[in-house]
Amino acid sequence: MTTDEAVGEGSRARRLGGHLVLGVLSLLCAFPVYWLYATSLRAPEDVYSLSVLPWPLSTASYAEAFATSDVLGMLLNTGVVAVLSALGQLLIALLAAYAFAAWRFPFRRLLYLLFVGTWLVPFQATMLPNYVLLSRLGLLETLAGVIIPTLCSALGVLLLREHLNGFPKELLDAARMDGRSSWSTLWTVVVPALRPALAALGILLAITAWNEYFWPAMVLQRSNAVVQLGLRSFLGTEGNDWGPLMAMAGLACLPVFVLYLVLQRHIVNAFVRSGLK
Amino acid sequence: MVSGTFVEAPPLALAGEAGVRPASRETGRSRARRLAPPYLYLLPAVVLLVVWTYQPLAQTFVLSLHSWNLVPSTPMEPVGLANYEQLLSTPELGRSVWRTVVVILGMLPFTVLIPVAVALLTRRVRGRAQGVYRALVFAPMLVAPVAGAAVWQWLLDPSAGAVNRILGTDVNWLNTTGTAQLAIIVITGWHVAGFAVLVVTAGLAGINPDYAAAAKVDGASRGQVTRWVTLPLLSPTLAFLVLMTVLLSAQWTFPLIDTLTQGGPVGSTTNLYYLLWEYGFRSHDAGLAAAAGVLFFAGFIVVAAVLTRLAERLSHHDD
Repeated sequence: MTTDEAVGEGSRARRLGGHLVLGVLSLLCAFPVYWLYATSLRAPEDVYSLSVLPWPLSTASYAEAFATSDVLGMLLNTGVVAVLSALGQLLIALLAAYAFAAWRFPFRRLLYLLFVGTWLVPFQATMLPNYVLLSRLGLLETLAGVIIPTLCSALGVLLLREHLNGFPKELLDAARMDGRSSWSTLWTVVVPALRPALAALGILLAITAWNEYFWPAMVLQRSNAVVQLGLRSFLGTEGNDWGPLMAMAGLACLPVFVLYLVLQRHIVNAFVRSGLK
Repeated sequence: MVSGTFVEAPPLALAGEAGVRPASRETGRSRARRLAPPYLYLLPAVVLLVVWTYQPLAQTFVLSLHSWNLVPSTPMEPVGLANYEQLLSTPELGRSVWRTVVVILGMLPFTVLIPVAVALLTRRVRGRAQGVYRALVFAPMLVAPVAGAAVWQWLLDPSAGAVNRILGTDVNWLNTTGTAQLAIIVITGWHVAGFAVLVVTAGLAGINPDYAAAAKVDGASRGQVTRWVTLPLLSPTLAFLVLMTVLLSAQWTFPLIDTLTQGGPVGSTTNLYYLLWEYGFRSHDAGLAAAAGVLFFAGFIVVAAVLTRLAERLSHHDD
């Protein structure tokens, strides 16, 4: 507060300068996103127009995208992957974080380091054996093959543990005095108190899974089961059909943007927290 | 009160039971039941971690000493360090490392310089406008990399793209050796800058305002406060951003390179990360790719160790 006051007492010119720089920068950042949707909403004959407003509006590009590929199926598949992956990671991370926060036990530090250590293992160093393992399990080209290897989120464990460390021990003790098992304490005491943190983390994990490209590209190879891969197959071919391509890209981003509009503050906080750990 | 023992050993579940029984007469079975719960809660996560991270890491080490073409029916042949020798002697490796360095250096303005400037500026602006700017700057972070690639390919299209038509140029940005790398850096920077802005903003919010106030009382100007008080206190955040940039830049560029340039033109966007991908999955030489993965892992550890040491040295400013 005090810095705000101290800085805020500056002249109008300073504040105006701030608005100017930030305004230009925000426009530069947002322009490609705007252009994507603007192009997708132009009539086919206007696709090359440089007018800022796409007028007259047309959904022809969307119709074309739907006609040429199974967009709904892809969106559905991607949704399934994102939701299952996020829920699975959330549950497994919650259990692990609970263990670290509520007990002291032999090898606790070592086990914790096992999670922290994953930060240092680049994807390249594990992808070949993982690919081979998936093919042995017969999970290549399946959505399960995309989901299962992502289910343990070290980030989730570390973040939830951080939250649980701030959790009043008295509540856990009180639950125990009531004769509750650790399992029922987890679900009746801990989870309700952690709900905001769990929601934020869940959204973060779902968005990440939705936008994931590298791993699905490996597992699903050249099939187009998820929307990121479907989009790729539209790209690169000579003479792009920009309208339908932008419609498809717009659809691929739409669920995330809708979430962002509704839950902006939570999403931003979740991303920042994840970065700071 | 029992609060002390709670974290020591007896788990929640059997506390009542175990409390009644003297420890000396505890049977092996009840002891197992008493000690088991934390391990049971950890089991799913640890099993996944071992199966999908650590065991494959070990396998990669083994694989890097063999020659294998990824086909299950063909046997792996031990070749000693030949893969490493071949890797370290490819002229392509040196070039790709250099390109990786270029990418990292090119990313620093987007992940450190611009975010710091923006975060310092947003402090001047308050209320609703601040939130709007932040929301707009952050939006690219949410765009899926492939969708980002699609829209940038459209913007940079040599004949009809908005960039050429606005600038009045006719550059084939993604297909010219000089500009392709630049385009990849700018697009990646566009993706992650908003995130970095938020990290710096959070870092600034965590700085005790008393320091700046004290410096002001001593007659420091605004510029001096920023230079000698705020930035040093922000150094742990900056160190984190540099670490993130160094470790992840090449990784961030991957989806863009794979969809926009495929490492070209004439290899000008093939960085270390993309080279690894090609070795493993284009040439089907698993041993070579594994050796490259091991080198990558070693590089990660060295860079992380150096930068964490650096961050630690810088971070006791705020004691």
